[in-house]
Amino acid sequence: MDEDVVIKFENVSKTFKIRDKVNGSLPHKLWSFVSGQNVRKIEALKNVSLEIKKGEFVGIVGANGSGKSTMIHLMTGGYKPDPGGKSSIKGSFIRLSLGLGFNGQLTAKENVYLNGSVMGLKISEINEKFDDIIEFAELKKFVNTKIKYFSRGMRARLAFAVAVHAEADIILMDEFFGGVGDERFKKRSEEIFAKAIVSGRTIVHVSHNLSTIKEYADRVILLHEGDCRGIGTTDEILDLYKRTIKVDRLSIEED
Amino acid sequence: MAAGLAAKIYSFLPENNRFERIWLLAMTDFKVRYNASMLGMFWAFVYPLVRILIYYVVFSFFFSKEIPNYGFYIFSGIILWMYFQESTKKGLNVIKSKRYLLENISFNKLDVYYASILTSQIGFFVNLFVLIVLLTLFGLTPSWRIIYYPLFILNLMILSLGVSLILSTVKVYLKDITQLWDLVLLLMFWINPIFFAKQKIFNMFPALLYANPLAGIIINSRDVLMYGKEPDWFLVGYNFVYAFALLGVGLLLFNKFYYKAIEKV
Repeated sequence: MDEDVVIKFENVSKTFKIRDKVNGSLPHKLWSFVSGQNVRKIEALKNVSLEIKKGEFVGIVGANGSGKSTMIHLMTGGYKPDPGGKSSIKGSFIRLSLGLGFNGQLTAKENVYLNGSVMGLKISEINEKFDDIIEFAELKKFVNTKIKYFSRGMRARLAFAVAVHAEADIILMDEFFGGVGDERFKKRSEEIFAKAIVSGRTIVHVSHNLSTIKEYADRVILLHEGDCRGIGTTDEILDLYKRTIKVDRLSIEED
Repeated sequence: MAAGLAAKIYSFLPENNRFERIWLLAMTDFKVRYNASMLGMFWAFVYPLVRILIYYVVFSFFFSKEIPNYGFYIFSGIILWMYFQESTKKGLNVIKSKRYLLENISFNKLDVYYASILTSQIGFFVNLFVLIVLLTLFGLTPSWRIIYYPLFILNLMILSLGVSLILSTVKVYLKDITQLWDLVLLLMFWINPIFFAKQKIFNMFPALLYANPLAGIIINSRDVLMYGKEPDWFLVGYNFVYAFALLGVGLLLFNKFYYKAIEKV
């Protein structure tokens, strides 16, 4: 793999098989279990190839269900590509998403140490950074409170704070910033973005928030119903995105 | 292959934080387990003791004439059993319970397994400590041969790790493995020489001694701890090979099927 490339997809596809629940009588249920009638295939991602270089800020946009989260999971290794495809990632990474990432039964402090350690920081390093992390997340009064009492915004701020200070090589953000912090927090986050890019960290940002993408992204990937419709500069892709949505809307209206 | 092994050992050195990480995972798990209750860690002591007491009272009707110090006989076997039971059950579930870390952060997946073994280890040492104290109080102070005891702990760790990995892999294809394993554990509980004297059953069915990777460990560790006897070295070797074999299989399977495991949860 080329020195600079940190994430690489080669003919990556992902198909899910899901089994729907059958409504009906017992014989009907047994029959569909045996015959596999209610199994559906969902082609979440179709044959995508790409290379992301170190230090790039790549945005991923697309309608809901277009395969954005699936793509992130394929990058982290959470999902394995369908046979014939290969996905590789080089360097330490952290994925931030709306899911927890924390254990609710533990306090903020315990979670910071746990996550930090799992990310590769030594306890002495975490000791040094701990105050910075808490301050960035604006959670000084809640250091010893269990995460289960935190609001969604608080958890998101904490997760982001840990991610940023743990100095992961790659940060994957999976629709992460939906309405999380106030103006002050958003500003500081954006400062972090700027710093991260300077220090050579790679960021992959899945978002519906087009203004952040516009401001920071080097390149943008557009996904639509599992297909990669384009990878290009921000302006190109955002334009294409809007046109894609328009087309869809038109076809709905024509119906 | 030597390079791979060296790299593995290297990753455990203090410069890399791997051991810290595993230790933290284990400690927080241990804390969480007892968080939910008021008395917390008190239960880690009480539960095994009460269990042993009940077994002792019930079984001494049948066996106390044949086995002196029957209470300790049971105690020394049961602590090993409880460790095995707890660590394998935990290991079965560890991908689910640690999903929030595995899914989001890049680290060596095996660490969560090491941590689950370690968590059970903490409980085990608590029980062992109580056992040794009681033995001493009752005039059965362990002899110098207790230095052999760590061998059996090590053996048990390797065994539990191997079994956990194998079970986790099976779980991908057989969701009911959790319930099935409960049944297997139930069976194993009574086949193991925790309550009865080894001579009777194993002379009649020697296969039971050799098919069961745990039996030899229990017998030998008890000999060393309670009776100050030399362990049966052939059996020790056999059990180690058995444990390593299971570990090898477990690692191979795990590497192959990890993706499916995390996806299917």
